[in-house]
Amino acid sequence: MTKRNETAYLNAGDAAKAGLGKVLKWILMLFFAFYTLFPLIWLIISSFKTNTELFGDPFSLPAVWQIGNYINAFKVSGLLKMMGNSVVIGGLSTVLNVLCASMLAYCISRFHFKGREAIFTFFAAGILVPLNALMVPYYVIISQIGLYNTRAGLILLYSAIGIPMSTFIIRGLMDSLSREIEEAAYIDGCGFFGRYFRIILPLSQNGIVTAATFQFLTCWNEFVFANLLTSSQNVRTIQLGIRYFTNQFSTDFVSMYAAIVISIVPSIIGYMIFQKQIVSGLTSGAVKG
Amino acid sequence: MKPTKKDRLGMALFMTPALVLFVLFFIIPVGYVLVVSLFKWNGMTAATFVGMKNYVTIWKDPVFRRSVINNVLWALVASCVQVPLSVLMALILNRKPRGWKFFRTVYFFPQVISGVALAMLWSAMYNSEYGLINGILRAIGRGDLAINWLGTLNTALPALLIYWVFYIGYYMVIVMSDLSGVDKDFYEAAEIDGASKIQQAWFISLPMIKSSVLTCMTLAAVLGLRQFEQVYLLTNGGPANRTSTMVLYLYKQIQNTRYGPANAASVMLICVGVIVILGIRALFKLGRSSRN
Repeated sequence: MTKRNETAYLNAGDAAKAGLGKVLKWILMLFFAFYTLFPLIWLIISSFKTNTELFGDPFSLPAVWQIGNYINAFKVSGLLKMMGNSVVIGGLSTVLNVLCASMLAYCISRFHFKGREAIFTFFAAGILVPLNALMVPYYVIISQIGLYNTRAGLILLYSAIGIPMSTFIIRGLMDSLSREIEEAAYIDGCGFFGRYFRIILPLSQNGIVTAATFQFLTCWNEFVFANLLTSSQNVRTIQLGIRYFTNQFSTDFVSMYAAIVISIVPSIIGYMIFQKQIVSGLTSGAVKG
Repeated sequence: MKPTKKDRLGMALFMTPALVLFVLFFIIPVGYVLVVSLFKWNGMTAATFVGMKNYVTIWKDPVFRRSVINNVLWALVASCVQVPLSVLMALILNRKPRGWKFFRTVYFFPQVISGVALAMLWSAMYNSEYGLINGILRAIGRGDLAINWLGTLNTALPALLIYWVFYIGYYMVIVMSDLSGVDKDFYEAAEIDGASKIQQAWFISLPMIKSSVLTCMTLAAVLGLRQFEQVYLLTNGGPANRTSTMVLYLYKQIQNTRYGPANAASVMLICVGVIVILGIRALFKLGRSSRN
């Protein structure tokens, strides 16, 4: 009898403990979700208010949802032009980057030659270089080759600084491909280029999409070098754009919020579509490095 | 595969573009900052060799010293607060509670939103007149606490650090991908032996993910040392240089065309980064060998 009571008591204690753990767990999970989402939702709601409403009560919902703020954001700031610049710069630098990186990865991954690990180690070490510390030489190099304040300058720089990461990701995938298919192709008379374009490239699609997604997102979000290497409005990227909205909309906060929301939306949509690639792009370098 | 003669030609062709870009944008720039840091140069007149003088100059500058301290703080807070929080949440989500995928997606949002947008968002949050934080304070009747968070000497740096620290998605996802490789049998065996969920996490999961935790701590420290964008956009180092960082210091030197000191700061930044990476690795190795 006593024994059974004891067990029951223990179980009740355990249950209480487990219950407490569960509550704590959910408090933590909800806190972090709230912390991330609430400011964003607040920003979105504020972007539909009038300035008077915003100053009056930061919590209230807009009496009338002001679509006009968004029209304003587009009209005043040349937002479309800047988004276009970002797409062109991000797109071209992604193509250039992935092409260079996959060609290099092909050589390193599929052939045995002296110094291949040395080359790879050098490139991988590039991931750890604090690029911000290289602002002066980047400025000098880009100016010297006459690309200061051009889209081409940013395309070149972005392609280059993303190469260590892309090579790392693509090589990882290429290493996992079996030798047999390639050897069969070789025997059938498929040359160096044929094997790259017809066999290795299509088979490493996953790695290439991961690297490309990661590269494009990085370019889309990049601010420091875009700020350093451009000066005129018609080559500005979207990130510089929202930075300078602060000046343009000095009193019109709600339109500025609308502009920020517009700049975030493509990132979020892209993330929803390419979630797997973005996550593995952001983590693969870390986990293996 | 062993390359044939024809392959060698193709390889030379294929590796050249990446190698050229790497030399041009990694090797030459690092060499450049090392060399120019030893010269006095304003970008216009001829450079004169001054040896270590630029290093002495920046080290004597209280703003630079403050920047180093701030960077170390960023690195410490990131690797000792942000990473443990991330590990905790990774352990929780690894148990696949209801809606874990939703939570994982949401926690990762700040990683895909640009730094500029985040900075603008938080500058709006902290704004003294219409910002959300002061709005909350006024709503709960503590309007007396509503201050200009980013413009006050003692609150500016904490305000920057605090909003950053709770963005755990990046490290959490790294740890989770490591956790997913842990054999489920371990947990089942522990379950049978009567280990609680917390004991399982502590005695099974944590030892298995040590290497990814190390990676996260290294990454967090390195990113903390590079911190620039947020500070530049939110406070530009103010008030009174209280929130300055090494990269911001370097940026301001460039604006004043003091390239010598700027590059000396670059070299310091690279060196501190290497020391931190090696230091954290050594620390973990030390811990491992003392246990064995």
